[in-house]
Amino acid sequence: MSGDAANLALPLSGLSAGAGEATTLYRELRKPLLRYLVCLGLSSDEAQDVVQDAFLILHRHLASGGSQENIRGWLFRVAHNQARNRQNRYDRHFCAPEDSETTAALDEATPEHAVLEKEKFQQLGKAMRLLTPSERECLLLRAAGLRYREIGEVLGIATSTVSDTVERAVKKLAEKCNV
Amino acid sequence: MCDFSGKLIAWMDRELPAEQAAEVESHIEACPECRGQLDAYMRVSGGIEAYCDETMASSGPRGAGIPLLAPAISVAAALAIIVAFFFTWPRTRVEPRALQSSQSADVASPFIATENPSASARPIEHLHRQQVVTPAGNFSQGRHLASTAAQTQIAGALPEESMIRIAIPAEEMFPPGAVPEGMNFVADVTIAPDGSAERMRLRPQLAAFERSTSLQ
Repeated sequence: MSGDAANLALPLSGLSAGAGEATTLYRELRKPLLRYLVCLGLSSDEAQDVVQDAFLILHRHLASGGSQENIRGWLFRVAHNQARNRQNRYDRHFCAPEDSETTAALDEATPEHAVLEKEKFQQLGKAMRLLTPSERECLLLRAAGLRYREIGEVLGIATSTVSDTVERAVKKLAEKCNV
Repeated sequence: MCDFSGKLIAWMDRELPAEQAAEVESHIEACPECRGQLDAYMRVSGGIEAYCDETMASSGPRGAGIPLLAPAISVAAALAIIVAFFFTWPRTRVEPRALQSSQSADVASPFIATENPSASARPIEHLHRQQVVTPAGNFSQGRHLASTAAQTQIAGALPEESMIRIAIPAEEMFPPGAVPEGMNFVADVTIAPDGSAERMRLRPQLAAFERSTSLQ
């Protein structure tokens, strides 16, 4: 955790009231958020920082009586925008010619299983890199369990556009991976 | 190409209205081509899930996850309760360097201290308020705090405090190893002229520095 991230300014009014709810949401959504951010291309440390920042913003939002409607989409949107602000490293994962980190992880798996999985995994990783950023984001948010409406709110696009984008992206992957 | 092929993924994702979903469902049962496509889309979706899991698993030691914020939020809530409890009692004037108060204080434990930049010249109104509390709150200590405050009120103190400082050892908020050794946190609570709490700012502070300045 960076020093800057520890500099928090919290309003005191309603602090304890919003804390319980924020803690519950934290337990439920921390891992999906981290996974989404890491898959977007942030490092583990960056993703941790973004998630912390997002939950602190959520905490302030709840403490100040902010709307609790679609709080999951709201939280992902905050985290997504925070990730975008780190643009210098954003998308690095997909711009890299080879996903060396994940390849190394698969090498450590059970040998016979690893060979098959590694091939499929590399094929899918390459195909993911060929998608447009919007297609990737839609698929990753979908993998995080968000509904099309929530994905639309996170990315600022219409639900129908999300539906079209997801369909296009899944079909592309199916074609590239020959499944 | 089947007319329903454009709705298969939305159906799979349970995003279609009930009526359309029923139509697609009955069609799939009768259409081998759509069943084949659906099977491929499901495998791709499963592959994306696995890809995300693997990417996450290989993202480094912190990716495994140390729940940092949950205890922090709990501590923040506890601090709010402590601070709120503190403010319900008559306020007193205190020395500006309350952190210097006690030689026997355990610097590894959390404590509350107050600061007053415009300290009074009347010694009887000064009060050392270095008070050991736990992040979870300790009401017996709170009562002692209140008792001390009440005694000072009898001595004629005036409510002119502007800030309360709460020092929190890092190990009370985070798991071991989550923050650099020697790093603690200090919460500064700003108080409005009317006595209400305005803001709380949490900032990191090196424990060694805190010891050297507070216990000399």
